[in-house]
Amino acid sequence: MMRVHVKLFATYREIVGSAGITWTGRDDLTLRDLVDGVVAKYPRLAGHRDTMLLAVNHDFASFDRILREGDEVALLPPVSGGLP
Amino acid sequence: MIDVKRGRLDPESVLNSVRCDDAGAIVLFLGTVRADEGVRALDYEVYRPMALKTLAALAERAKEKFGVLELSIAHRLGRVPVGGDSVAVACSAVHRAEAFAAAAWAMDEVKRIVPIWKTEALPANRGKPRKR
Repeated sequence: MMRVHVKLFATYREIVGSAGITWTGRDDLTLRDLVDGVVAKYPRLAGHRDTMLLAVNHDFASFDRILREGDEVALLPPVSGGLP
Repeated sequence: MIDVKRGRLDPESVLNSVRCDDAGAIVLFLGTVRADEGVRALDYEVYRPMALKTLAALAERAKEKFGVLELSIAHRLGRVPVGGDSVAVACSAVHRAEAFAAAAWAMDEVKRIVPIWKTEALPANRGKPRKR
């Protein structure tokens, strides 16, 4: 088993009630597995899943990324946007 | 210059950070908080290490893509009142066309990929703040 740090921002932080959580999973845990687990634990995140951006150690990452012990994962709402 | 901080931006320092003798043009863009109905301020929050990394990468990419000389970005965090400056992008280039193009591209990228979020600060009787 291993642990990763999960950081949460803006709407996601409000839903979870914390700016960060520690997540424990099996050694070949993927980002998809982690997001599935976090959404299952905090079902109000489910409606945001399609627009969620993901980062590992400060770089954008895809769902199939395999996580390592101590990784910093960030679940990012769409950024500020606005019209040009 | 890449900067993400609380407190007022200093547009002149951002502008001066891109000055160089080879430049024939400097563009300075300021993003300001607009007085949309009922909005008195915007609150900005950041994922700082990733924002700094992403901003630095996109400034380098702008130099490669447009051949500009220098490109600086400064973003304000926390509460920014209506009329306040929330972001400054400055770019120097040999000629104005690439300076305008690079500054516009960089600002689009800031809004697309840099992890900074804004929430409208509404008067107390206007209900829950809106993410936007």
